[in-house]
Amino acid sequence: MSDAKATHLEHFQDLEQQAHAARLGIWIFLASELLLFAGLFALYGAYRAHYPAAFGWGVDHNVRALGTLNTAILICSSYSVAKSVHMLRRGRPRFAAGLVAFTLACGCAFLVIKGVEYATHFREGVFPGGHGSFFLGQPQGLKVFYTLYFLMTGLHGIHVVVGMGLLVWLLSRILRGQLAVPHTHPLDIGAVYWHLIDVVWIFLWPIFYLTPGTF
Amino acid sequence: MSAQSPGFVPEGSAVSLPPTFVNDDERIRSWLLTTDHKRVGILFFVTTALMMALGGAFALVLRIEHLTPDRTIVDALAYNRLFTMHGVVMVFLFMIPAIPGSFGNFLVPIMIGAKDVAFPRLNLVSFYFYFVGAVVVLIAMQAGGLDTGWTFYTPYSVQSPSAVVPTLIGLFIVGWSSILTGLNFIVTIHTMRAKGLGWMRMPLFVWSIYGTSIIQVLATPVLGLAVALVAIDHGLDWGLFDPARGGDPVLFQHLFWFYSHPAVYIMILPAMGIVSEVVCTFCRKNPLSYRAIAYSSMGIAFVGFLTWGHHMFVAGLSTFDAGAFGVLSMLVGIFSAIKVFTWVGTMYRGSIAFNTPLLYVFTFLFLFVFGGMTGIAVATTSLDVHWHDTYFVVAHFHFIMVGGTLTAYFAGLHYWFPKVTGRLYSERWGLLAAALVSAGFFVTFFPQFLLGNAGMPRRYYDYPPEYQTLHVVSTVGSWVLASGMIITVGYLLWALKSGKRAGKNPWHSASYEWLTRSPPPPHNFDDTPVFATDPYDYTETGRLSHE
Amino acid sequence: MRAISERATLLTLLALLGLTALSFALSYVHLGALNIPVAIAIAAVKATLVVTVFMELAVEKFTVKVSLIMGFVFAALLIGLMVADVVTRADAPLLPPPPS
Repeated sequence: MSDAKATHLEHFQDLEQQAHAARLGIWIFLASELLLFAGLFALYGAYRAHYPAAFGWGVDHNVRALGTLNTAILICSSYSVAKSVHMLRRGRPRFAAGLVAFTLACGCAFLVIKGVEYATHFREGVFPGGHGSFFLGQPQGLKVFYTLYFLMTGLHGIHVVVGMGLLVWLLSRILRGQLAVPHTHPLDIGAVYWHLIDVVWIFLWPIFYLTPGTF
Repeated sequence: MSAQSPGFVPEGSAVSLPPTFVNDDERIRSWLLTTDHKRVGILFFVTTALMMALGGAFALVLRIEHLTPDRTIVDALAYNRLFTMHGVVMVFLFMIPAIPGSFGNFLVPIMIGAKDVAFPRLNLVSFYFYFVGAVVVLIAMQAGGLDTGWTFYTPYSVQSPSAVVPTLIGLFIVGWSSILTGLNFIVTIHTMRAKGLGWMRMPLFVWSIYGTSIIQVLATPVLGLAVALVAIDHGLDWGLFDPARGGDPVLFQHLFWFYSHPAVYIMILPAMGIVSEVVCTFCRKNPLSYRAIAYSSMGIAFVGFLTWGHHMFVAGLSTFDAGAFGVLSMLVGIFSAIKVFTWVGTMYRGSIAFNTPLLYVFTFLFLFVFGGMTGIAVATTSLDVHWHDTYFVVAHFHFIMVGGTLTAYFAGLHYWFPKVTGRLYSERWGLLAAALVSAGFFVTFFPQFLLGNAGMPRRYYDYPPEYQTLHVVSTVGSWVLASGMIITVGYLLWALKSGKRAGKNPWHSASYEWLTRSPPPPHNFDDTPVFATDPYDYTETGRLSHE
Repeated sequence: MRAISERATLLTLLALLGLTALSFALSYVHLGALNIPVAIAIAAVKATLVVTVFMELAVEKFTVKVSLIMGFVFAALLIGLMVADVVTRADAPLLPPPPS
């Protein structure tokens, strides 16, 4: 028995208006997130133009396989959360819950791999801000490269954690029967946020792992 | 000269007044936890007004300091902190949030016939982000403030021993308020208009808030990034903009101005919306072209994003970028010009009522045009090389921000005072204050164009004695300006308690907010609103429905 | 709102994984100056797929589509003009020349 809300919040005329407002709201929020990351991508682009060789070397030094694995993990997690939305709309909340759980597992895997990469960097003496023994005698551009690397993947990682928190909350609501037909749009919202994380990583991956250029 | 005599309800009426948003639950708790957009608007109004007073106090001290070339009342280090805090408080804690947060919140749902904004709880959260952020900034100020200028240019902002990091943390928090407020308004305007109310029949103030909200949502994240990077560089020594570590300080400026140029349109667009409303009501005329005003609001919002590099002409930008930005910056003036012509054309052959709001609008038109033309002047790269970082630029932006936005803010304050409070202010005091504000402003800031053109740099503690006369004139002007504003506070507070009661529509305006009671009921309208007429319909049939 | 079919969603997953593999493979091919644009272009295609299918933007109202497009437009503007600045500065050194 579900106690999903078939009624809408008081200031809206009906549930459809509320759902539309919620969807428009999350997309506008996404546009703002896009601009946030755009600033960092702009810094990357500008600094890469300053230091093409150093950036190329830095990209080459990252472990391409790990970055690629993370890309695949996030893509699969995007699929699973998209499917969970479909399942919830089709009136199969338990299947949806399982898929959300799988998405969360992917998120964990992603963070673990990122953690491994960071640990490797730290062991080598690579820290943000050009700190660390690694940078002695190295060109300036390498300091900037790694500072940006930690900034951009770090900010992305924070978003992964926030996204996971959101999905945990939504999962608990599904399991308690609060999210079910016709009141399913909150899961749409959470899923859209998760996809944003995937999209950002789709661009982070090539610029930090795939494009060593010439150096 | 005649002022329109407003309708009022006689004092001591035997009618027991139905609940308003003010008296329906008067506990403090209900105000602090409100989700009523009108109360959120009042909360924003009070806090932003206090911030304005604080920023204004800093300005007065700065002007007193400049009475003499050397030390007058503060030393150089204190002076640097004062002009920085003046800028930070005025820009981030007053100019950006004030009109959208106060007037926008109060009026937009009423103007579109909605019960509230799309996300009322988020609205309250928006207020608390602003409030908490402002408190953090004030605490940082109490710890000495910062001395980097409100523009936080690297490398100095990363090196300065002053309270840079806490201030930036506070601003980062305030930024969230701006983004969420903008988001809320966009969704509200799209999804909550009353049945049958199309985009082309909304009051023009709503269009201006819509354009403003788009800028807030898209530009503020970049500022958040910029200040976060400076705070991280400062606190954790990451040197992203440190030339000694390969950093490029100009890139910080790109990020900063990508927000801060559109930010000035956040400051002026809502003010222009107020002007549109006041012009139509007090000239009893529909706008010369509704579409011109509506679309130019969107034009400003869009083109405003294309121009940020004009703040960086002498910073080391490439010639290509400087040229591109110079040309793009010219474009944005077109939309402002369209509005000014439309407003003046609206006034032509209107039935003009010289009430206080319209007096402020006259001031606005004069000062905004002045300021706007000098804006085109400084957008010309070759000229800006001479004027950059001088008082010429300071005068330019004060003409727009004070002569433009603040004047319109005062116009709106008087125009909607009866709607919000249910009381009328005294027109005689209003006229006096408006005269003092207008004259005081001009005497304060016009000499600064001359000072700047003669070479007086901005943010300089001392100056050669040749500049003193103009500085003294400017300072005296600031006292006249301040007196006008203080008098305004005085008579408005008096009117709040003892003003004549206003009816629904003391100005006999055709716009939708005047269809409901003053102050409005908790859910804005007693009955579901059906806006049968145009908000600017001053024809016979339109008027009769609004009397 | 019309719905995106589950079949379309599954096909998109396969396309995304395929494009990922393609991008990975191409990264080992020396295309000179084209390596970066090609990688970004493939990323853009993948992002478009995620946005239109997984995020269902293809069936959303026009307003929603416009919000995202505007975001991308301004993002491109920021990145474009910032990178253009650096690229077109006529070889000016970042540090001032040493005192002679």
